[in-house]
Amino acid sequence: METPENDPKINRRKFIANGARASVLIGIGGLAALVAKKTIAGQTVWQLDPAKCIQCGRCATNCVLTPSAVKCVHVYAMCGYCDLCGGYFKPETKTLTTGAENQLCPTNAIKRKFVEDPFFEYTIDEPLCIGCGKCVKGCGAFGNGSLQLQIRHNICVRCNQCSIARSCPADAFSRVPANQPYLLKESGQEENNNKK
Amino acid sequence: MKKNAVLLILILVLTIQLLNVYGVQRFPKPEFESGYVQPDTLQPDTRAELLAIMDIVVLTVALAVISWLVLKKRSRIGVFCTSVLSLVYFGFYREGCVCSIGAIQNITLAMFDENYVIPLTVIAFFVIPLIFTLFFGRTFCAGVCPFGAIQDLVSYKPQKLGTRLNAVLGLIPYLYLGLSILYAATGTDFIICRYDPFVGIFRFDASFGMFLFAGILLVSGIFIARPYCRFLCPYGVLLNFISRFSWRHMTITPAACIKCRLCEDSCPYDAIDMPVPGKNPEDRAITLRKLILICLLVPFFVLLGGYSTSRLHETLAGVNGKVHLAKSLLEPTTNNGQPETFEITAFKSSGKPVSQVFSEASAVIRQFYIGSWILGCFIGLVFGIILARQLIIAYQADYTPNKGTCFSCMRCVDYCPVTPEEVKS
Amino acid sequence: MTNQASSASTRKLLQNIAIASAIFAVILCVLIIVNFIQLKRADPLNSKVLTTLVERLHANQDDESLRQEIRELDLLARKAFFTNQWQVRMGGYLLFVSLLVIVICVKATDLMQKTLPDVPSADRRDFWHLRKINRLWVIYTGLFIVILSLLIVLLTHRELGKNLELAARGSSEKEPAAGTDLNTRTTPGTMPKGIAADSLKADSAGTQAPGNVLAGINPDGYPSLQEINGNFTSFRGPGGTGIAYQKNIPTSWDGKSGKNVRWKTEIPLPGYNSPIIWKDRVFLTGASETRREVYCIDLNSGKILWRKTVEKIPGSPAQEPKVISETGFSAPTMTTDGRRVYAIFANGDLIALDLEGNEIWTKNLGIPLNHYGHSSSLIMYRDLLIIQYDQRGSGSVMALAGKTGEVVWKTNRSVKISWASPVIIHTGKRTELILAADPMVASYNPADGKELWRINCIEGEVGPSVAYADGVVYAVNDFSKLSAIEIGDTPKLLWEDTDYLSDIPSPLATAKYLFVVTSYGALACYDAKTGTKYWEQELGTPTFASPVLAEGKVYLMDKKGVMHIFMADQKYTVVSESPLGEGSSCTPAFAEGKIIIRGNKHLFCIGK
Repeated sequence: METPENDPKINRRKFIANGARASVLIGIGGLAALVAKKTIAGQTVWQLDPAKCIQCGRCATNCVLTPSAVKCVHVYAMCGYCDLCGGYFKPETKTLTTGAENQLCPTNAIKRKFVEDPFFEYTIDEPLCIGCGKCVKGCGAFGNGSLQLQIRHNICVRCNQCSIARSCPADAFSRVPANQPYLLKESGQEENNNKK
Repeated sequence: MKKNAVLLILILVLTIQLLNVYGVQRFPKPEFESGYVQPDTLQPDTRAELLAIMDIVVLTVALAVISWLVLKKRSRIGVFCTSVLSLVYFGFYREGCVCSIGAIQNITLAMFDENYVIPLTVIAFFVIPLIFTLFFGRTFCAGVCPFGAIQDLVSYKPQKLGTRLNAVLGLIPYLYLGLSILYAATGTDFIICRYDPFVGIFRFDASFGMFLFAGILLVSGIFIARPYCRFLCPYGVLLNFISRFSWRHMTITPAACIKCRLCEDSCPYDAIDMPVPGKNPEDRAITLRKLILICLLVPFFVLLGGYSTSRLHETLAGVNGKVHLAKSLLEPTTNNGQPETFEITAFKSSGKPVSQVFSEASAVIRQFYIGSWILGCFIGLVFGIILARQLIIAYQADYTPNKGTCFSCMRCVDYCPVTPEEVKS
Repeated sequence: MTNQASSASTRKLLQNIAIASAIFAVILCVLIIVNFIQLKRADPLNSKVLTTLVERLHANQDDESLRQEIRELDLLARKAFFTNQWQVRMGGYLLFVSLLVIVICVKATDLMQKTLPDVPSADRRDFWHLRKINRLWVIYTGLFIVILSLLIVLLTHRELGKNLELAARGSSEKEPAAGTDLNTRTTPGTMPKGIAADSLKADSAGTQAPGNVLAGINPDGYPSLQEINGNFTSFRGPGGTGIAYQKNIPTSWDGKSGKNVRWKTEIPLPGYNSPIIWKDRVFLTGASETRREVYCIDLNSGKILWRKTVEKIPGSPAQEPKVISETGFSAPTMTTDGRRVYAIFANGDLIALDLEGNEIWTKNLGIPLNHYGHSSSLIMYRDLLIIQYDQRGSGSVMALAGKTGEVVWKTNRSVKISWASPVIIHTGKRTELILAADPMVASYNPADGKELWRINCIEGEVGPSVAYADGVVYAVNDFSKLSAIEIGDTPKLLWEDTDYLSDIPSPLATAKYLFVVTSYGALACYDAKTGTKYWEQELGTPTFASPVLAEGKVYLMDKKGVMHIFMADQKYTVVSESPLGEGSSCTPAFAEGKIIIRGNKHLFCIGK
């Protein structure tokens, strides 16, 4: 079908097409190079900063997972092993027993174990924990703040945009490097003692 | 020596003060006599880094395989099987994150937010499909993207939508892309991820709204093929543009078209360009005049779009957390009697001055003002180009896939009676 | 033939399976949605019933049956929550499997039944016509979008950006012009440029080093309510209602041993005015018959940062007015808007200083005709300095522009002399300025001085200022009565009492309780809404200072310098009684973790 005088036209078209292709390629490459300056080889994961957290309870409801990937984590090193634990007991509780009427945790996820007089150990049963932060609030208000909310990375599905982060009123969520995925605050016991 | 000691003490004092900002040690750590050993706080590891590399490898291999299946093997079954495998891997195993569609926002954020560092995987997920598209057409959509795959699975009795609906709905992705870039650039939100319909299915877990959206898309997907890909997907806009320049694109027929018209209705996406009858000088003159008119109108479209969107900038910025907080601080009397919002409680406990919130918020609103002008101009430009394109005459004799909108799903190929063997003979 | 028949029957079978699983899926879907809504609505983990039961148990600890009931209910709730979650999850999996079955069946039938496509009839509408339709509809959509966006603009546009910018400028610390302001307003010796720039940085980081209070503040603006509440800007705190919003307030100290006393600074001249605090600076005045001074003290170190002698004020009388020793020459407390501080003295001298002690403007309001000595404190509303000047023969209240001292408004009052101080309240609907003087308690719009309402309920030489909480104003005076006034356009007297009447200390109100202190040292707590008396106490020491509420505790200083700290509660629970080591007649001021108390000679900073 092709006549010889059509040839230059086709060649020109080919040339233009190649040029366009090359410029698109350069465009993509340029864009990649532009952002590549601020890249890291590793991954980032979401984590919340307990120092900013106000325990509003949205971690329990706004995660894409049910129950939430945010759990209460117990930093034993900070714990005072109190008998009257603000994280375990409802306020105004008078009889310090493990009865349901005394427990702050709505799902019975904190286990209280006698260690020695007058100390008790508190352990979080994570599968039961829904991340509501009630105990965290209690511990922060009356105790040492050893109960803290954290995203558990064995559960978290690593959404590109964490759906709790965008509803967190305290702006406590941020992307952190995956090799240091936890932001537990461990107010150094020793340092404090030194000061005294 | 003495100087060093002073320095050391200074550092020590500083660190102690720093640490004191955190938690209050109201009760000293007990000294146990019973030999109780304090348990360690468990910190389960995140997903291994190596697996992220594997994602990139799987993506590249899948793209290579599907391009080969589309262009060399011309196999519908092959494409279908690859798409099911991709759905299983990227969808159900990897749970849909991070995906190429959402990566648009990460790239945008990386360009505008100095503090954001972007993982290499995300760049790879954004760039690799674009490059493959530049060479082989939208093979990514055909069978690597899990979103496309799941919709392809359910499209049972696809109907033709008609030219009007196609034209109107086809504009939505441009708006969506523009908005998602605006919101990502201002660090407000990732709206593509927020309104992502299918991750909920991949994870067997999502909010009710997400499931509802997914349900609507999938049920309508039985009759309207790939509703998300065609009428929402913002990444599709980029792929559509790039695919027009593709080096080798899938063809319906392996040899010369015999115009049997068997494939004419085979495409559920209305992505087959019909033959355009021969030149008609009269038509040409009229359309040329119209084309010139529209080209002259493009600046007007751009300005109109820019102006009307820029008027919206405060409404658009209302979603931003900083603006929202500032607004509620500025008009505090509205929630009379109700307890203060968590945002305000958090703000109070942060000790940040009010003026800072206000000035940050007004900075965000300024960004939105500029951003909405750009967004509006972009939308105006898109309208202008689409209108102009409707007037450009591309005479052609054969049935060809539209390089922009074709997903390379290979349905039409199955209908083509021309076989490659005939080519050889 | 058989082959075809068998494939037809298989197809039929597959179709039936698909239909069956489709029905199954629909039923599942409905069940899941119902279950989900149930879970959302019942919210078993936050059950109200359980909460009320627990509250009842707290009131009655020995009720074993109640205890048992709670336990059972709690178990039920938790069970409901977890089973419900399990059901939704399992339902989801089942739904997924059934959908998978449908897809497989449908795809399999498709594969078995290969049909050739219909070739569409030839009379397709022509290419150009389709394109034309496309163009038209794209244009329609464009118009629709433009109209829609303009419509939304009309409905929502609120000049938010501009308002925020104004607000930011109003309470700004990041004003671009701040640097230039600073240079013109501070003397070069006090703050070199370099420090100024540094302190600006410190500001934006949210930390405040001493010596930079001025840095970058716009002199035209006024502090937001938040900022005011974060400081202690006037007599009896922000608004003058006796409520401090600071946290971590110490509850015990001893002035003698120095326990929890951070510093103690001698104040050169005496005065019964109370300290005020703005960020890291404490301000107070002192005066003798011949000398009047304003002091600024560093909150952290107790160092006197500057002292300013108030002299050579135009119109100032040559002869000091007569005052009694219980009032002194500087009874009114200062106030501040974070840009300037304001002080008034017994001879009517009024001065505005910037935070570095430089004089901004001065004025004499005319000798107060007052047989004890002028004692109404100053207060700020936005950038207006409000002065209650109820003197013999000419009662008035006026507002002066804080920046210039010009009178913005002045309202005359037909009242007798008052020693009380103005109080600014935020009712939620509006902001009101409340004044008490024989014969009335009256409210004014602080922006323009228009009277909002008045009620005649007070008589005599009014000393105590009013208290306010939750829509009720409380006014009291000796030889008169205690009245609770529900405010509004037509104020209503809620209740009255005559048992405890004060002539100097002001009452203190919370939403639930009202605390009245008398100058002879009696203390009573009333139900704020009904006037039921909950408890009465005898402190045994005369008390001139007004009580202040901080962190749910009432801080009351007696004349011997002992701070009585008790819970603001239905029962009288003493938290502590901490001695200052010297007498005091002044109301304490509160900062984060600190109390500033003016003793008869020294200024004390209490803090851990």
